[in-house]
Amino acid sequence: MSDFDSTDDVPAAKGHRPQKRRRVYDDSDASTPRYSSPDELAEDRPYRSSKTTRQDSGARRRSHTSDVSADELDHTYNRSRSRTRSTSPESPALRPHSPTDAPSPPTRKPLRLNYKQKFILRGHRKGVAQVRFSPDGRWLASCSADGTIKIWDASNGKHMRTLEGHLAGVSTIAWSPDSNTIASGSDDKAIRLWHRATGKPYPAPLLGHHNYVYSLGFSPKGNMLVSGSYDEAVFLWDLRARRQMRSLPAHSDPVGGVDFIRDGTLVCSCSTDGLIRVWDTATGQCLRTLVHEDMPPVTTVRFSPNGLYILAFTLDSCIRLWDYVSGHCKKTYQGHVNTKYSLGGAFGVGGTDGFIVSGSEDGDIVFWDVQDKNVVQRVSGHEGVVCWVDTCPGRGGKIASGGLDGTVRIWVDADNDLGVDGLNLDDEGGENGNGFARRDSVGVKIEGEDGYNDTPMDDMSLNGGQLLEPSVEAPPPDEMEED
Amino acid sequence: MNLSLTDPFVLAQDYPESTTGNLRSGHACALRFNRKGDFLAAGRADGVVVIFDVETQGVARKLKGHTRQIQSLSWSRDGRYLLTSSQDWKCNLWDLQDGSIVRSVRFEAAVYIAELHPWNQPRGAGYADWNSLMFVVSLFEEQPLLVDATNPECIKLNLPSAPKRGLDEKVTEKQASQDAKQATTVSVFTASGKHIVAGTNKGWLNVIEVDSRTTIYSTKICAGVVIFLRLTSSGRDIVINSSDRIIRTIQMPNLSDDPDTIDIEVEHKFQDVVNRLSWNHVAFSSTGEYVTASTYNNHDIYIWERNHGSLVKILEGPKEEHGVVEWHPHRPLITACGLESGRIHIWSNIPQQRWSALAPDFVEVEENVEYIEHEDEFDIHPQEEIHKRRLDQEDEDIDVLTVEPVKGLEEDNEAFRMPVQLDLQDSEGEEEFVAVRRGEMRRKSPTASRDYMLDSGVIGSGDEFANKRKTKSKRR
Repeated sequence: MSDFDSTDDVPAAKGHRPQKRRRVYDDSDASTPRYSSPDELAEDRPYRSSKTTRQDSGARRRSHTSDVSADELDHTYNRSRSRTRSTSPESPALRPHSPTDAPSPPTRKPLRLNYKQKFILRGHRKGVAQVRFSPDGRWLASCSADGTIKIWDASNGKHMRTLEGHLAGVSTIAWSPDSNTIASGSDDKAIRLWHRATGKPYPAPLLGHHNYVYSLGFSPKGNMLVSGSYDEAVFLWDLRARRQMRSLPAHSDPVGGVDFIRDGTLVCSCSTDGLIRVWDTATGQCLRTLVHEDMPPVTTVRFSPNGLYILAFTLDSCIRLWDYVSGHCKKTYQGHVNTKYSLGGAFGVGGTDGFIVSGSEDGDIVFWDVQDKNVVQRVSGHEGVVCWVDTCPGRGGKIASGGLDGTVRIWVDADNDLGVDGLNLDDEGGENGNGFARRDSVGVKIEGEDGYNDTPMDDMSLNGGQLLEPSVEAPPPDEMEED
Repeated sequence: MNLSLTDPFVLAQDYPESTTGNLRSGHACALRFNRKGDFLAAGRADGVVVIFDVETQGVARKLKGHTRQIQSLSWSRDGRYLLTSSQDWKCNLWDLQDGSIVRSVRFEAAVYIAELHPWNQPRGAGYADWNSLMFVVSLFEEQPLLVDATNPECIKLNLPSAPKRGLDEKVTEKQASQDAKQATTVSVFTASGKHIVAGTNKGWLNVIEVDSRTTIYSTKICAGVVIFLRLTSSGRDIVINSSDRIIRTIQMPNLSDDPDTIDIEVEHKFQDVVNRLSWNHVAFSSTGEYVTASTYNNHDIYIWERNHGSLVKILEGPKEEHGVVEWHPHRPLITACGLESGRIHIWSNIPQQRWSALAPDFVEVEENVEYIEHEDEFDIHPQEEIHKRRLDQEDEDIDVLTVEPVKGLEEDNEAFRMPVQLDLQDSEGEEEFVAVRRGEMRRKSPTASRDYMLDSGVIGSGDEFANKRKTKSKRR
């Protein structure tokens, strides 16, 4: 396969188009990596070393055992309190904590994250547009401008399948709720469905869009698919009949993102015209439109896990959380760079609190506390734009990122004490649970793929998932697959 | 979760207003929604059972195993199992996980209606876990049966059809011979599953205790044959369609009381005295507030309201007579089978697109409103200040994770989800017209798709010629 998708040789039709996330990776972008590998952890250390042992006032909601975790609690605690500092004259950091003078209002346990890179998955020959964990948490799918979709084992980074068939770059993928089917949308205007286990496509692609397909979402029952396209339309598909069920007269500009709500009754869509629309699945009617005053182009939308809010990624380097019922923006998250590409992120759970994670055009992955909007962690590793970040369903404390450097990376919350042995999801039945190293240990041992009936299909699996020792720069991509 | 955004006036409308579409797969003649209301089972004249997905209005599954017209359908509580009865003298219990037949019970006559016990029914995956599986069947000119199909060798227990006589009442010879002529035409379980309500061809309503299989109460409810009985989902009310052109509703008494104190009285009688219409089929609305009926030799669907017993709506629709009607379990949506075309017609409400939804600053007003400017409305503030102020206002506590339970809808992760078949064979086509050759279309006959059974050799009749023709056409 050749360079069918480099933006450079696509004609002028793309003139005003927002830079596509799968744009061919430009080396100059990456020449100045922000942080080298020991990165932000090193930055954070000094904070931590200021020892103030906080006696926990209430019952801790998370079970932290190590002393380190206590320190870190303090550290992030400071940050999260910073907004209310005006009310308390002395900085909480300087105040010796005693059980009695714990802040009187019902304080939230500060969110504390410590994500570290575990695996670098190489194999895509061009930028990775999206990465998505399967709903059962066992698989990771990535799609790329090279026209392929790759499936990886989420627990050990092993390459499982490469799905080939699209005639142009693939910009979006979605998992069916049973984790057995992947839908992919491509610049060849087609949406394809793939068997996860065999890697084979279903015979007939979904045709109907007149232009690049940008975004896909499965309905929670798996019977419908919503697709957003550069042709400004949002389609609802009946997947059994592979029939276009409904066309939503959505926007006046390319549709950047679509998503289904958790009970399937609503669909949201967004566009570079700055509008976010909420649709009724059953009638196809627009129920609500959300616009920010400055109308920045909206590139990605996602419903919150409970379906009460919509997270919108806009090209003014903001992520906004909308209450779509009242129509108000409730939170604005800033700190990343997003002006050109349609980046994407996800909601995650750290302990009992929610966080929001997104890629950034400066190569970082940024984590925010949902409540106080502070950046709780910032990690780097990708060379160049991080297009998409997804969180693993369940309590695993695992995220995956994909970037224009063509790599997919899996990150694990090293402080997630559950995670040391129990990083695997509960429903995973304990198989392959030891694929992750302890926080302190450097080497990572891969267990064999016992327990999985799906065996890697091709020889690419050998160089698919490369192990990465947490604090060592990744080895250069010495071997790339030849087709 | 769309309720918070939906027009309250639309939600207040609790019966459908107009025809909004139709479903077609062969010639449908029996309909039943599952409990959740996301699937509609349709039994066809050729014995195929088709499961429609209500959301997509497409076929979700086809169940092939009967060889004659389907008479009745009964869903299990969790929506995983479906009991079908057919004129081929069989009842099949299907597992919708894979579309297999779990039990197939053959009777000595054609089956009018078969209904699963509301509680003693299969649940979950493993058949071994079944506590018990019971259903009641009414047979053509036979005694009704209570079938215990917990084990593959099922036990059929006879149920009485003769009405209960008082103890002091002497059964005369005449009465005895009359009793012998009684045949049960329809039988349904009450909500608790402890009793069966059965209607006979002489217009009697019998209440049969399941444990003892004896009639504990009988009343002569109407003059004609009891054609159909249906309970509301709560089980508190029952609607009776009889051949005397009157639809009766009854509030169920407490049957667990002393049998002697049970008294069943008709609450409402719905009829059309002007046109003297008879009714093909009746159904309750989701809450039991409304009763709907399809009319004999007429195209209309009638809806009565039960509070005052008044007629509220006559739905006009496609120009054909309708057979079975069925009301969606929690939406104002009625489906009915056309007798002639076999299509399933749908009546519901499609709300108007509200213009205010299309932009955040649109407001729908009844009349012109004079605009009053706020004091500070056009004040100019520095951009940063606005921005900062806006960000400072965002101090609300937001919970993005906790799922609020939806009232009335228990969300059970363990609940059965029918697998989505992406490779569903659409070979027999839902299209009404089939291409014979280029430029030539032929209307599909309702029984054409029965051929498949010849292929699989289910039919014993062994119609060799048809079989050959089928294979030939396949080759072509």
